[in-house]
Amino acid sequence: MTRRRFDWPDLAFGAFLIAVAAGTLVATRGLNGGTAADMGPGYMPRAIALILLAFGLFFAGRGLLRGHVGIEPVQLRPILGVGVAVGVFALLIENAGLALASFAAILIAAAASRESRFFEVIVFGLAVTVGAVLLFIKALALPVSIWPW
Amino acid sequence: MELFDNLLLGLSTALQWNNLFYCLIGVVIGTAIGVLPGIGPIPTVALLLPFTFGLAPASALIMLAGIFYGAQYGGSTTAILVNVPGETSSVVTCLDGHEMAKQGRAGPALAIAAISSFFAGTVATIVIAVLALPLGALALKFTAVEYFSLLVLGLFAAVILAHGSVSKSLAMVFLGLLIGTVGIDVNSGVARMTFGVPALADGLDFVPVAMGMFGLAEIIANLERPAVRQVVSQKLRDLVPSRADLKAAFPAMLRGTFIGSALGVLPGGGAALPPFTAYALEKKLAKDPSRFGKGAIEGVAGPEAANNAGAQTSFIPLLTLGIPANALMALMIGALMMQGIQPGPQVMTEQPELVWGVIASMWTGNLMLLIINLPLVGLWVSMLKIPYRLLFPAIVLFCCIGTYGISNSAFNVWLMLGCAVVGYFFIKVGVEPAPLLLGLVLGPQLEENFRRAMQLADGDPSVFVTRPISALLLAIVAIMLLAMLSPAVLKTRKRALAE
Repeated sequence: MTRRRFDWPDLAFGAFLIAVAAGTLVATRGLNGGTAADMGPGYMPRAIALILLAFGLFFAGRGLLRGHVGIEPVQLRPILGVGVAVGVFALLIENAGLALASFAAILIAAAASRESRFFEVIVFGLAVTVGAVLLFIKALALPVSIWPW
Repeated sequence: MELFDNLLLGLSTALQWNNLFYCLIGVVIGTAIGVLPGIGPIPTVALLLPFTFGLAPASALIMLAGIFYGAQYGGSTTAILVNVPGETSSVVTCLDGHEMAKQGRAGPALAIAAISSFFAGTVATIVIAVLALPLGALALKFTAVEYFSLLVLGLFAAVILAHGSVSKSLAMVFLGLLIGTVGIDVNSGVARMTFGVPALADGLDFVPVAMGMFGLAEIIANLERPAVRQVVSQKLRDLVPSRADLKAAFPAMLRGTFIGSALGVLPGGGAALPPFTAYALEKKLAKDPSRFGKGAIEGVAGPEAANNAGAQTSFIPLLTLGIPANALMALMIGALMMQGIQPGPQVMTEQPELVWGVIASMWTGNLMLLIINLPLVGLWVSMLKIPYRLLFPAIVLFCCIGTYGISNSAFNVWLMLGCAVVGYFFIKVGVEPAPLLLGLVLGPQLEENFRRAMQLADGDPSVFVTRPISALLLAIVAIMLLAMLSPAVLKTRKRALAE
């Protein structure tokens, strides 16, 4: 953590809340708000969004004034490895079957760590895939096909 | 005696062969994830939720509960032998437990930890049984007004007692409440914030949210830290503690059980806060506080008893009022709803064999844990030899399959991915995700009761303070909030949580 001009975690969290609140207000603008005695579908989301907006402004303001905290740098490898693995699984599971989706997810996820070794991952991936098929399809009867065909 | 009738009814449920079997599965899985650092009970329970759908409600809850308190046992094993807390609740056990192990007394330390946990678990089971009846009866008098106030109390208390910044946690609760409003509005049938996605019509499923924020985001953050070398080299000789050990540990065990039971019942309670409090108390009461941190057996017995008692009594608000005390209990509510049971006080009268069966199963489960933990400790320790580089891809895969399995939709997997990214952002900016999950699960209930209460009162919000029970509940919230603003309390809280 280095010394900075702003309190970056507070500032980022505040900005995030403001964005969510603004997004909600835009998304619910077509909904009927109603009155307190007879609330419409838009009443609660809008009320909560306004509270979040207040929280967001508070944190962002505090972050600008207080200062001197940085955010630890983001490392791309872990988040990309895990993220792509999950995404590929989501793309493959419905058409390519559990076996391929599992094996691909393990291989890609392993790339997220610098310590993974190539052959170990291949062997381990095959073993886990077999285990997952046996556990989820044979034992727990998850309705999904094993193979693409 | 109604109490004994109820416990007998519970035991007859818990002792059925299939329930004993699911209890055993639960505690074995619990011990395993407790031993392994880097995977906690929340993603595990979330992962197994979809597969409890086919079970009877009692079996499902018995198994999921077993995972939770089993994890407390497993966590202490790694804390003592390797100085790595498997769970947050066993952080304090590292202090004296590992020191004992270094002095060659790993056996007695493990035995005392297990005995304390078993003792606390047994007492906590009785505490739950005693408190469940009056609380359940009280809750039946509640209308929408009282319910709303109770939910508010639960949410606020959970935020204040949990660790992390109070203001940020409050913001997270509201964020959770907001996400909870996504989907078709039950009163008007209008779709809210679904952005035309049909999968969102029923609202956001909390399983992908929980797995993304607790499971995957945690993994990504773990991978950024340099790997810790784990050294396991301890010959386990005699596990039997000496008479002097037992004599020193027993009072600490009693006090720990009491603290754990009391703190566990509070909303926001659970397994994390009690052991810290118990350790601080033992240190204060000891004739020679300098022994602590150098292998004092009281420093193992007290916190271990406290975390198990707390883990179990945190079921009380869930079973009697239908309100979760922490994020894990929120998942339990989800398990009930998947079974078609609306959580609330009526569950106790409508499904007594479910509630009492779960309570009684905690005792049978603790007995099983004692047996699978002490003689088999070597087996659990060898699990630690699985390196994290192999463990994490498997966890990622199981999260994917589990999320997909809830409703066989790839949409949930994408949702989990999104939540993982947001969860990673929360870790980076130092915000706890647990309050968000509580808000998400309680949100629909809160809105429903609020709207109904306002309708009854004709839009006059003063109804919440003119009804006595509701006024009392909200007064407690106000006192807690005011107390948090006073600098003295703020300082003590900071110290208590940092210790």
